[in-house]
This record gives sequence, structure tokens and C-alpha cells, in this order.
Amino acid sequence: MSQPTPIVQPLLLQFQQLFFLSKLVGVLPQDLTKFRFKNVLEKSRNGMIYMLGMLMLYIVLYNLLIYSFGEEDRSLKATQSTLTFVIGLFLTYIGLIMMVTDQVTALFNQGRLGDLYERIRVVDERLYREQCLVDNSTIAKRIRIMLLMTFVFELFILLSTYVKLVDYTQWLSILWIVSAIPTFINTLDKIWFAVSLYALKERFEAINATLEDLVTEHEKFLTWLNGDDRNNSIEEHAAVESVSQPPQYDTNLEYLYKELGGIDVGSLRGSGSKGKNKVAPIAHSLNSFGESIQSPRKLQQSNATPMINMAHESELSNATKVEEKLNNLCQVHDEICEIGKAMNGLWSYPILSLMAYGFLIFTAQLYFLYCATRAQSIPSLFRSAKSPFITVVVLIYTSGKCIYLIYLSWKTSLASKRTGISLHKCGVVADDNLLYEIVNHLSLKLLNHSVDFSACGFFTLDMETLYGVSGGITSYLIILIQFNLAAQQAKDAINSFNSFNDTAGLVGAATEFGNESSSLFDLVTTTMMTPLN
Amino acid sequence: MIQVMNWLSMAIGLIPLNRQQAQSNFVLDYGMMVIVPCLYLSSYLGINLMKSFGLPFLDACNSVCRLSNNLFMHLGAFLYVTITLLSLYRRKQFFVDFETRLAEIDVVIQKCRRVAELDKGRAQAVKHSVAYHFTWLFVFSVFIFALYYDSKELYATFGEYAIIPFMVSSFPYLAGSIIQGEFIYHVSVISNRFEQINKLFEKINQEARHRHAPLTVFDIESEGKKQERKPTPAEKAAATKAIYSTDPKLADELKAQKALPTNQQNELNTSDEEDEDIFDYNEGMMEENTGTTSEANLPDLFKLHDKILALSVMTNGEFGPQCVPYMAACFVVSIFGIFLETKVNFIVSGKSRLLDYVTYLYVIWSFTTMVVAYIVLRLCCNANNHSKQSAMIVHEIMQKKPAFMLSNDLFYNKMKSFTLQFLHWEGYFQFNGIGLFALDYTFIFSTVSAATSYLIVLLQFDMTAILRNEGLMT
Repeated sequence: MSQPTPIVQPLLLQFQQLFFLSKLVGVLPQDLTKFRFKNVLEKSRNGMIYMLGMLMLYIVLYNLLIYSFGEEDRSLKATQSTLTFVIGLFLTYIGLIMMVTDQVTALFNQGRLGDLYERIRVVDERLYREQCLVDNSTIAKRIRIMLLMTFVFELFILLSTYVKLVDYTQWLSILWIVSAIPTFINTLDKIWFAVSLYALKERFEAINATLEDLVTEHEKFLTWLNGDDRNNSIEEHAAVESVSQPPQYDTNLEYLYKELGGIDVGSLRGSGSKGKNKVAPIAHSLNSFGESIQSPRKLQQSNATPMINMAHESELSNATKVEEKLNNLCQVHDEICEIGKAMNGLWSYPILSLMAYGFLIFTAQLYFLYCATRAQSIPSLFRSAKSPFITVVVLIYTSGKCIYLIYLSWKTSLASKRTGISLHKCGVVADDNLLYEIVNHLSLKLLNHSVDFSACGFFTLDMETLYGVSGGITSYLIILIQFNLAAQQAKDAINSFNSFNDTAGLVGAATEFGNESSSLFDLVTTTMMTPLN
Repeated sequence: MIQVMNWLSMAIGLIPLNRQQAQSNFVLDYGMMVIVPCLYLSSYLGINLMKSFGLPFLDACNSVCRLSNNLFMHLGAFLYVTITLLSLYRRKQFFVDFETRLAEIDVVIQKCRRVAELDKGRAQAVKHSVAYHFTWLFVFSVFIFALYYDSKELYATFGEYAIIPFMVSSFPYLAGSIIQGEFIYHVSVISNRFEQINKLFEKINQEARHRHAPLTVFDIESEGKKQERKPTPAEKAAATKAIYSTDPKLADELKAQKALPTNQQNELNTSDEEDEDIFDYNEGMMEENTGTTSEANLPDLFKLHDKILALSVMTNGEFGPQCVPYMAACFVVSIFGIFLETKVNFIVSGKSRLLDYVTYLYVIWSFTTMVVAYIVLRLCCNANNHSKQSAMIVHEIMQKKPAFMLSNDLFYNKMKSFTLQFLHWEGYFQFNGIGLFALDYTFIFSTVSAATSYLIVLLQFDMTAILRNEGLMT
């Protein structure tokens, strides 16, 4: 271990494609070359200028789009109901606002984002020392799937709307492509958040799995002890055990090393595995290259096969030994919680704007769909609502983004809460006084360290919020439709009144003269208007 | 009763046939689960594509009738398809897992009962109360009435083809309710186990109360002066004891160390050799020697509680997602039931037979689904409360400072650990529908308030013009 080679692969290694893409479209300002060679996110002035330029370009283009398509709106303003018009006006800029929020936040956070991933890497190292392996390879896969889905959705919405609903004989209709930019950039930014959140969740789950492993191991140890007491069929049992569950040497080895010289166990273990796997000294890289390694124990086991067979040994049977491990795990848990909070802080404004966007767009799209089915005109920016099928895709895309984030935050929060339960299981299964004291102490600590994700503190990101929001959308939709109906009825009444006015005028012109025409007019008005009212 | 429900749900293909056996014929098990949905889908698609055998396509059906019938049908389709997909996804593994885990739990509970000598109460546990039977009878009669009404009306309309419209009108709601019935059964089993555990905890608690008096001695040591001023007979012994031993706490510890193993294995050997030593303050304990055994259950009980909670997490994971479409359907049907009843049926009942049939169908099924939903919520709430009760009882035991706890830190830490763990559990788990809402009485409150606001909006809807157009009103 002469040169400081990293024990674990940094998480950012999995983010390469995503980073290049987001760098290209101007979601992140960080330095490209540093990321490519060192896998770190660092501040970069050029990136910042590039990103600001892109931002300006987008804003100009979007305004151009609104202006050029607004022509239709102005001609339609007279015919459509004021409610629809106002909603359209109100929501014109919401996409742009969302995009600007994302990009400006990314600019402000460009230094802190790198720190966040650095902290995750440190956590990974600490977890690795506790033999708690996190498999990062699925994250790259996830990113690819998400990117693919984003492209599919965006392209489908863009192309189908363009082909079906935009008049593409005019060259200005090319500008319609700009309408997809805000959502696309927003989605890219949210993929960063979602994947990082998923990584945190995986770390929580890895901690939980380690604790549960301790429990099952100890249970096996206990049954083995009992079997020894009763002296029945040990050989058979052992045979079964050796097949099903390889005995754990590494811990013994580790403590042996510790006893011998107080050498840093982590480094020793790292070098040990290095000696075995020269090509890939990093356990994570092994995984990412596709070798299926379920747990680090098995890796260690292959190293230690020539050692003596010590049969069963449970870490939990030795309270002092396990205390350090539990302590470390709890500290790592705290650290992950802190990272989660920091991450939530970094993305709090973008998430708030996304949720507002999702809520408003969902409601508006459904309302415009209703308007379109009633053959009323709708704002030109929301022309995708004219086709029910495209509307469904748009709704799935928008709500999918919001719901996935909410679901992931909820799951992460649950996984962090689960740790306390797993910790107590360790205590219960060992049934040891000292261990109970440790566990109780740590459990109180864990109780205070739960991570809850929120959007700027306005609302927590969990499923109950989703329930409330869905109720809100429904009731607003009903109210909007009611108003629309009422407005429509009023408009019909006015129209019929106007047409009647014309006929009355004609009648007046025909009968021509004097006072009786006005009295007749009044009479006809009252008789005609009563059923309408 | 539960058997009847299980047979029914097997018959209409909602749970696998041999669900308790791990190995059996795959085709036989899942055959019914595939045939019935296919039957349903064919009749649903047939009605919607061929436009025959459906109520909306009859001439006698006016626009209100058509709208409400379409809503009922499509809502039912949504409910049935989601529920069936989730049921197919669940497979048999869940039932096998559930039964094995339950068997494990039952074995431990039996052991604990034997230790705590609670077996005499077993006869009570098996016998169900009157309320239980009444509930089942009520639910069954409600369902039979609903099905009878629907099939009678449909038979009067369609003759021998009535099964096709029946498949799309009542059947989805029946299927959804039966799945909820399965959920109810599983939750009630869990709730029952919690109750048994609580009984065992309560037993320990009672014994702790008996043994409370002679053991106050340990508390008094810290405030020895007060004690010497006013020595009651019970405390006198303690006082003398405190004088004899220079470091009473240490002595107690030592004794406890010795006493503990004997407590735990007390069936094997009665502790004789230390009796001289502890005799002076242990008289109360000697009399109820049987009682000393039950606290040996504590570790087992804690593990049991944990296991049952894990079991409920599993059950909720399986049935919670199915709750969501069911509750949604129940909500929509109830709102439209009230709406149709007040705005249509109240005004123009008796004019059109089909319209009456559709409105009554709404009312009947809204009532039925509401009953089922209420039972689900009630049982989930009960199970939650029972699990909470255990922690409460443990706290009570801790407050009473019984002998086994004071004498040894282990028990104290154990109980503390249990209550702390329960705190974690409380934050982690509650019966819920994939996190959207908690399945307890708060859900009733939220739905009722939501329903009220929707109804206010809906009732403003002016139906008279439509009814007049249809010629139902003059």
C-alpha cells in the first residue's frame, strides 16, 4: 500500500455518460477533464460561462417560441373562455421557471456537489472496512435505463405533437423543438438526484443486510452449539453447513491480525485481496466487471482456504469485539443520514419547483383535455392535450418523474428506519448484557438520526403527500370543470341573447316605429330568457 | 366461516388452489386463476367491442343510466384487473411462508404458555364471541343480498345470458371484497397472536405486582435514613439485611447472579442451596413459586413480538397494494351512489326500471364495500393497538421493578431494548396501502372529509335539465 490507491471505486465512475450528457446540454458546470481522469466534480469557470450561455440561449429561444406561437393565441383569445386563457397564461412560463431553477441551483452548488460524492466515497470505504459491500454496478444500469426512458418519452411527445398537431409547413414551427428543452433538462437534473438517492438507499440497505447477517450467523452458531450439546448428527450438520454456508474465517483472521500487531485491519485486508486479485484490486470493480460476488466473506474465504477449519464462530458472541463494529456501522449510518440531508438541501429548490410543475401541469393537462373534447380552443403551448393518447403519455412522463422521486425518498427513509430494528435483532439474538447496553445506546442515537426528505420543508416527500396531492388534483379538476360548464352555459346564453337581439332588431326594423316595438322587445326578452335561466 | 371464504376465493380464482402445500401441480393450482380472469376479460371486451349484452346498449337505458353503468363497469374493470394482477404476482409462496412462520410462532407461544401455565385459558381463545359470528353472518347476508338482487334484475332483463353482464357488473366488486376478506383473515390471525402475547406479558405483569411488596427493600437502600425512622415489618427485615452487609448492592448482585440460572431452569431443579441466604426476604416469592417461571418467557416473547411484526410487514406488503384500488373504488362508488340516490332516484324513481336498477346497484355495492373496508380498517387498527399494548405492558413491568429485573441488569436492558425496538418499529411500520394512507381510523376521517367536499361540488350539478330531456320529469 505504498501509493494511496482507493480501496473502493468512487460512485461517480458510474455517472460518466450522465455527466457528459449533462455537461453538453448545460445542466452541470463542473470540469470535464478532471472528471474524466480523476472522477471528481470540481468547480470550473469555463463550464460556468458555457452553462450561463446555454441558459441565456434557452431563455431566448423559449421566449421566441412563446412569441411565435402566441400569434395563434391572440387570434383565439376572443373565442375561448377567459378561464382557459388565464390558466394558459399562468402556466406559460412554468416550464422555463423550473429549468432556470435547476440550472441556477446547479451553478450555486457546483462546489458542494463534488464534496457530496467525496463523502459518499469515504462512507463506502468505511463500509468496506466493516465488510459491508455496496454494489455500484447496478447504478450505471439504472442511469442508462432512465436516460433511455427520458429519450423515448421526450422524443415521442415531441415528434407526435409535431407531426399531428403543429402546422409544419411554416419554417417557424421548427421552434417547437424548443418546447421539449425545459422538461429534458429538468429530467437530467432529477436523474442525478434520483440515482444519488438510490445509492444512499443501497448503503442503508447494505448496513441492514450486514446486521441481519450477523443475526443469522449467530443463530446458526447457536444451533450448532446446541447440536454439539446434544451430540446428535454433527457430521451431517457440518456437512450441510459446509455446503450451504461457507464458514467465516475472515473475522477470526481479522482479529488475529489485530491481536498480533495492531495493524490497520482495513489496509491489511485490502492488501490481502490485492494479492489474490492482481488484476482488479478493488472489490467493487470485480462486481462491476460482472463477477457475481454476493458478499465479501466469500471472497475472503477463497483466500483463506488453507487455514484451519474453525467451524462456527459468531461475532455476536463476543460483545467487546462486536461493539466496535456496531459503533462504526452506526456512525456510518449517521454519516449517510447527514449526506442525505445535505443532498436534500442541495436539491431542495429544484424539487419544490418540480413538484409545483408536476401538480400544475397535471391538473392543467387534464383540464385542457376536457376542453379539447368539448371542442373548445386551448392555449397553443398545450396543444398536446388535443390528443388523448399524447396526453396520457405526457401525464405518465410528468407524474412518473414526481412519483419516482417521492417513492424513492420514502423508501430511503424507511430503509434508514429499518436499521434500528436490525440493530435490536442483534441484541436480542445474542442476549448478552453488555451487548444490550451497547444496542440500547446506539438505538437511541439512531432514533434521533432519521432522515426525512422534504421540499424546502414545505412538505415531506413521502407517499402520504402523494395521496394528498392526488386528492387535490381531483378536487381542483372538478371545480375547474364546473366553472368551465358554468362559463359555457353563460356564453351560450349570451350568444342566444345576442342572436335574439339581432332578430329583435330585425323585428324592430320591420315593425319600424315607435314605442310599442320596445315594449314588444321587452316582452319577448322576458319570455325567451326565463327557461334559459 | 373462513373456510367458506377460502373455498369461494379458490373457486373464483383469487388464490391458488393448494396454497398450503409447497409442492403440487402447477397447472392445477393456477388454472382457476387464469381461467376466471380470461372469462371476465372476454365478457368485458365482448360487451365493449360487440356492443351487445350490455345495459348501456339497451333502448330502455337513458343517458343517466348509460353514464352510471359505464362508470360502474369501467371502475369494476380497473379494480378487478389490478387485483388479479397483484394476486397472480403474489403466487403461492406467500401463503406457504405465512403458514410456516405462523407455525413457528405458534410453537413458541405454546411453549411460553406452558411455562406461564396459561393453558387453562386455551378453551376461551378458540371459542369465538357472539360478535364474531354476528359479523360474519351480517357480511354474508349483505353479500348474498347484493348478488341476489343483481342476478335477479339481470335475469329479468337478459334471460339466460345474464351471466355475461353479471361478470362485468357485480363480479369485480365481489372479487375485490373477497381479496379484502383474505386480508382481513390474515390480519385477524396476526392480531390474535398479538393478543396472546399480551396475555403472557400481562401474566408477568401480574406476578410482578404480587412480588412488589417484599422487594421494595432494594429501593430503600438509597434512602436508608428515612427507612430507619419508620421501619414497617416488611422493611425491618430489609433494614437488618442492610446492616449486615456492608455493600448490599454488591451482595444483591451476587445473589441475583446465582438466582438467575435457577430461575431459568427451574423445572429441572428447585433452588434449595441458597434458600437460607435469601429466605429472609423471599417469603413472598416462595409462596407463588409457579410465578417465578413466567419471566423466563421474556426473551422469547420479545423475539415473538419481533417475528409477528415481521409477519405483518410481509402481509401488508402483499395485501396493501390491493387495498388501494379497492378503497378507491369504494370511495367512487359511494360518492356516486349518494349522488344518484339524491339527485336521480329521489326525484324520478319508478319511471324507468333500468335506471332504478343501476342506482340501487350503486347503493348496494357502496354499502357492501364500505362494510368490508370498515372491517379491514378496524382489524388493522386493532392489530396496531395490540402491538402497542405489549410495549405498554413492558413499561408497566419495568415501573414495578420486579425482583428479576432489579436483581439483574440483563432483564432491565432487555426490556429497555424491547421498548426501544418498538419505537423503531412504530416509525417503520404501520398497516398501510403502499404508504399512501395508513389503514386505521384516520383514513375514515380523511375519506369522509374528502367525500363531503366532493359531494358539495357534485350536488350543485343540475340534473333537472337532463332528466327533463329524457322524459323522466315533466
